Parts: sequence; structure tokens; C-alpha cells
Amino acid sequence: MRKVMIVDDSVSMRQMVGFTLRKGGYEVVEAQHGQEALSKLQGCTVDLIVTDLNMPVMDGITLIQNVRKLPAMKSKPILMLTTEGLASKKEQGKAAGATGWLVKPFDPAKLLQTIAKVLP
Amino acid sequence: MKIDLSQFLQTYLLESAEHIASMETGLLQLRSAPDDVELLNSIFRSAHTIKGGAGSFAMTSLVRFTHSLENLLDRLRSSQMQATSEVIDLLLRSVDVLRELVQAEADAPMPQAALELVERIEALQPAEPAEDESCTDDAPEPVQDDREMKLYSVEFCPDRELLSSGTNPIVLLRNLAALGTVSCCHLHSEELPALADLNPEKCYLSWTVELASRCSDSELREVFEFVEHLAEIRIHSAEPLQKSEDAAPQAPASAVVKSLPSKTGPAAAPVHRKTTVKKADTSGESGSIRVAIDKVDRLIDLVGELVIAHVMTAQMVDDFEPSCLPKLREAVASMERNTRELHERVMGIRMLPVGTLFQRYSRTVYDIAQSTHKQIRLETNGEETEIDKGMLELLGDPLTHLIRNSADHGVESPEVRLAAGKPAEGVISLKAFHRSGRIVIEISDDGAGINTERVRLKAIERGLIGPDSQLDNEQIRMLIFEPGFSTKEEVSDLSGRGVGMDVVKRNVQQLNGTVTLESEEGRGSTVSIELPLTLAILEGLLVRVSDRTLVLPLLSVIETVPLRKEQIVRVAERGEAIVIREETVPLLRLSRFLGLPQETAGATGAENGNRQLAVIVESGRRKVGLVVDELLGQQQVVVKSLERHLHKVDGLMGATILGDGCVAPIVDVTGIGAMDLFSLQGKVKTS
Repeated sequence: MRKVMIVDDSVSMRQMVGFTLRKGGYEVVEAQHGQEALSKLQGCTVDLIVTDLNMPVMDGITLIQNVRKLPAMKSKPILMLTTEGLASKKEQGKAAGATGWLVKPFDPAKLLQTIAKVLP
Repeated sequence: MKIDLSQFLQTYLLESAEHIASMETGLLQLRSAPDDVELLNSIFRSAHTIKGGAGSFAMTSLVRFTHSLENLLDRLRSSQMQATSEVIDLLLRSVDVLRELVQAEADAPMPQAALELVERIEALQPAEPAEDESCTDDAPEPVQDDREMKLYSVEFCPDRELLSSGTNPIVLLRNLAALGTVSCCHLHSEELPALADLNPEKCYLSWTVELASRCSDSELREVFEFVEHLAEIRIHSAEPLQKSEDAAPQAPASAVVKSLPSKTGPAAAPVHRKTTVKKADTSGESGSIRVAIDKVDRLIDLVGELVIAHVMTAQMVDDFEPSCLPKLREAVASMERNTRELHERVMGIRMLPVGTLFQRYSRTVYDIAQSTHKQIRLETNGEETEIDKGMLELLGDPLTHLIRNSADHGVESPEVRLAAGKPAEGVISLKAFHRSGRIVIEISDDGAGINTERVRLKAIERGLIGPDSQLDNEQIRMLIFEPGFSTKEEVSDLSGRGVGMDVVKRNVQQLNGTVTLESEEGRGSTVSIELPLTLAILEGLLVRVSDRTLVLPLLSVIETVPLRKEQIVRVAERGEAIVIREETVPLLRLSRFLGLPQETAGATGAENGNRQLAVIVESGRRKVGLVVDELLGQQQVVVKSLERHLHKVDGLMGATILGDGCVAPIVDVTGIGAMDLFSLQGKVKTS
């Protein structure tokens, strides 16, 4: 089963995304912020990461930059999940190495479609 | 696949309430540190999270409101704007509106107050740039059903850096192929260097794909949506194909089009909140508790140990020999240790830090200071002190009232304070701490204190005391907790209405706690609320009264003295009292009070008087001697409510089940302390 990591500081968002992913047939790993995501990635690799951008401790952009430094995660897709449609934030994410993005409000069908679109 | 997210609404609402509370705390802190970027970031994140979820539950007003709030906060945190006190005030009002909007029905229109605030917030910042994607991106394209099959040639020339974004070009080609029928795919490998120079992390290849598809240009381009900055995409289309004979690619292509994730289709509707779900929310907060995993883990460990101890004991009982006795004792002792710890830890699950309650009062104080033009600072201390969740909820209103009282009536205006030689800024302090197995919450202010003479006159006016009553200052001050002591002259918008101090006292007593008040005129007042750690278990003193076993809460027991006839004094026609070390303590004969058979066989009159004991208990500042026949021991008891099965019985707070299966009533010391003992003594209960 393919493994997807969801990184978001909001419990409800993690629950909703996690629920959707499980329904979509993925195994789910959760992290509350970038730091926790990175430490979880020390022990295991995932096939895809869905991350919020605004988070305490370590934000999404920093997380993406750091994930891209991990040999095992260098070429794995990363989706940014954010309310910010503003171009600047998206550009920062792209520059950091994000594969794609999803604009909130969170839409389960759209999430699964977008994942299918970037997963090999 | 239909995915229903409404089950997560409850979590979202709880989470939003937390975020709103932390926004409020943050904003109040921001007043003294308007440039604190970390603080602004965290306030921004809260608004951001609320907005993020609101969209999923179609709470449109909330989305719109948080959106403008988020923009303002974004400008503050990126230092494009200053967090002036005007802005902070505006944000604090927004927090109130947020609270309302979170509670409102999903499709309720935006309330007037919210609309006005949005206008004011938007007036503070330049018009929003039109780059917001959520507005531009989703413009629906006209849906064509019978679109013509076209031949396309798609050139896909990625940058060298394409792979660094985690994009797999093969996946893109696969997605493109799914939109039609590929007739030819050219691979351009001219730029591929010699093997020695090849960097495997760079992309040197490009492709040209020829396909027949019913999709539009933009739909094909959408395949490359995420790599537009990392690739050059050129799409050329040829003339429409003849519909008739080229049937071969037609069928699969149309099939794909239908299931396509295109933006032209009806966007998946966000979940609509159900009214029934909503109704449960108001009480939702009390219905659930979040427990740290390590607390649960420890419980599981303990249960494990308990099971092992039980197995060992059972085995020893089965193969019992007298020589086993010491071992058996040991096993039982270990079971007792485990049980006790399990008790404590299970109760610990219900414990929450009082800080969650304290934080809301910064706002209360701020509002009062604003409207009364006073300068007041709230200091809190001991926020980490844990208290039963049920108590925490019941404490909210009494504390609000006490704090309002302090801010409104206690702390003086800056002019008066300066004239009295005090700093212009008044301080209200809210403290929580443990004292001898109980939790104490103290609300103190450095304000004017209580004018005992005025209280005395008012009490006489209200008929609470006679004009010639001899009361010391402390007793007079306690009169403000009496029902009927209204302070109508001082009624203000803030604290003079609604619950009075008598309600504060009653609420605290309901929690099995006590309220005391200290005050010095000109220097300020301190109200202390003392509460038991939990309502469900207490350390009990088991006593025999007549033929019954009763439980007294051990914490309120001061001492036990033998009841000698010569110590008993009769207070003219009103009852008995006992003199201990020159202090007169009223006596209450529990057997008579509870309507039990008066005397046990063979013990009558003077003889009985010599054998009985008086357990001196303290309730608030009052002492009462409870007359019992025998002390039986002490143990932890689980308090069970009587009211589910019987009416409220005066003088009893509940009952417990003893080791031998008997039911033992628990005496309500606080309740007894509040009664007029001398008039009760004559009364014999028949029920």
C-alpha cells in the first residue's frame, strides 16, 4: 500500500485529509509540523507528502527544502495544501521543490485526483 | 467515491474555539509587544486554520470574515502595518465576531456587526490584488458535450531542474495519454551528454506527443499545471477529425473525458453542515476530553500489573497453606498500591490546567478597563495547577463575577489611586495553588477594599442583621455573600447585574468548596476559593452513629474529642455547645439530625455522654462538633450521588459503598456548616 504523509497543525484538517486518503486506499502517516515530519522521515520513507504551509515550529516551505535534502525523498512528490492562493507563497513553495499544490477549502475528490496526477 | 466530512465538524469546532481563545490571549499580549513577529505569526496561523476548515464545511460568512482578517494579520506580520492600539482593538472585536460565526449555521447570512468590521478592516489596507487564485482559477468554462475529436501535437520541453521538484515526466506523459489516443511519441535526446558528464538528477530529454483527443487546449495544458515554471509546453492543434470513420480512438477517448478530473465539471460540493449536528455542539465541549497518550499508556501498564497481581493472589488462595499468609498479604498490599495509583491516574484524566480558564479573564479585565477608563493589569499565577474538568466549567461564572467585581468596584480610577499614593495602574491577581490537599484559587486586587460600615448599614437596611448585632469586621464582610444582600446602588453594566455574590458562594459550595474574603480598606480585597481536588473520591473518616456507619470527609476534620458532660453547655433554649480550649463550638447530634434511633442499647443518659465523641469539623471558618458513637477508621471512598435515587437530603452529600457491601452516607460538612445549627438541634427528622 502506498504511504502518504500529511503534515498540518490543525487536528481537524489532519483528520479530514487522513480519512480521505485512507478511503482512497493509502496508508497514512501524520505529523503536526515540519519538525515532526522530518523526524518521522528519519525512520521511514513515504511515497508522497501533503503539507500545509503555515505551521508552528517548522513551516511548510522549510520542510520542503529539508525533505529535498534527504536522499530517499529527493524525487518523491510533495503537495502543498494551503489556503493561500496568493502567488508569492506558491512561488516560494515551487522554488523550495514542491511538486504541486491544492488550494483550500479542502476538497476530498480534488485531493485524490491531484495525488493520482503526481504519483508514478 | 463520496467522502462525507461532516463527522469532522465537531473536531473543527472544538479546534476553532481553542484557536479563538489563543488569538485573544495573543492579541492582549500584543498590546505590550506590538512588534513581536512570533506572536503575530501565531495569531495569523489561528485565523488561517479557522479559515481553512470553514471552507470545508461551507461556512461562507466565516470564510469571508477570516479572509479579511488573515489579510490584515499578514500585513502586520510582514511589518507593512503597525499593530496600533486601534488595530488591536479592532482585532479583539473580530475575535468576538469569530466566536459568533463559528457557532452560527453554515448558511446564515453575515451579521451586521461582522459586515461593519470587515469594512473597517478592509479600509485599513489597500485594495486586494486580483492575483487571488481562488477567484480567477475557478471560472467555469462552458461545458461541451459533443466535442469534436481533434489532433494535437504537444511539445513538452522540461528544464534541466524538473526532477528536483519531485515531478516524474513519465507520469505527466501518462496523464496526457489518458486524455486521448496517442498516435506517436517522439523522444528528443539530442541534449543528452556523454555518460561521463551525465548528472542523473538532471533532465536532458524532451518529448513531442501526437494524440487525438476531444479535450480542449486548456484541458491538455492542465496536465502540466504544476510544471509550467519548469518546462516549456507548446500545444498545436490540427483540424477537427472527420467524426465518422475514425471511430477507433473515439470510444476510449470519450470514456476518459467523462471521468476526467477537470475543473469544468461541477466542483465537488463542500460538506453542508447538518442542523442536527450543530445542536449538539453547544454542549460538545463538556462531552469530550483530550488525553495525552502517555497518561493512557500508564493506565494500561497499571491495569497490566493489577491483572498479574490478581492472578498471583488467586493462585495462592487456591493452593492455600497457612505458610502462604505473608506472601498473600504482600500480594494484596501490592494490589492495593496498584488500585490506588489507578484511581489517581484515572482521576488525573479529568484534570485540566486552570490556565485554560484563566486566559479568558485578560479579556474581561481589558474590556472593563476600557469602558471605565481605568488602568488595570491582570496577573496570573499557577496556571499549570490541575483541576477537575467538571469543576473548571462550574468555576467559570463565579470567577467572572469576582473578577468583574474587582475591576469594577475594587480598583479605583487613576486619579483616585494617585491621590491615595498608589500607582495609577491597578493590579488584579489571579492565583491557583495547592494547600494541604485542596486547590485554592485566589482573586485579589489592590483597590479600595470593602467599607465594612457601609456593608453593615446595608445589611441592617435589608434586614439581614439587627441594628444592634455585634459582629466583627470579618463577619460583616461575609454578609455580602448572603442572599438578599443586593448592592443595587452600585449596579453598573459590568458587574451589578446577574449573579450576585450569594450565587458565587452557592456555586462554590456545590463543588464542595468554601469561599473566604479578606479585605483591608484602602489596600484591596482577596477572595479565596478552596476546592477539593476532585468530586469523585475523598479521604473519609468512618464513624458509627447509632447503628449506622457514616463517612465524614477527613479533610474537614480538625480533631476528635471525648464528649464529657461537664464540657457541654446549653445555649438558652437553642441547643448545645462544647467548650474546647475556651472556644465554644456548637454541637450537632448526628443521630437526632438524621433521624436515627436515639441511643444504642445500654448506653443512656450520663453514661452515654461519657462514651460519645465529638468530631470537630471545619466548614469555611466555622467549627461544628458532630456527635458520634465510635470512630471506625479511615479510608478512601468513592462518592456516589444520592439524587439519582432519592431527593436531596439535607446534611448528606452522597453515599459510598464500603468494603463489606454496605451503603454508608457521606455527611455534607459544608452544608451543615451553612445551616443555623441552634435552630436545627431541636428539630427531629422523620424522613
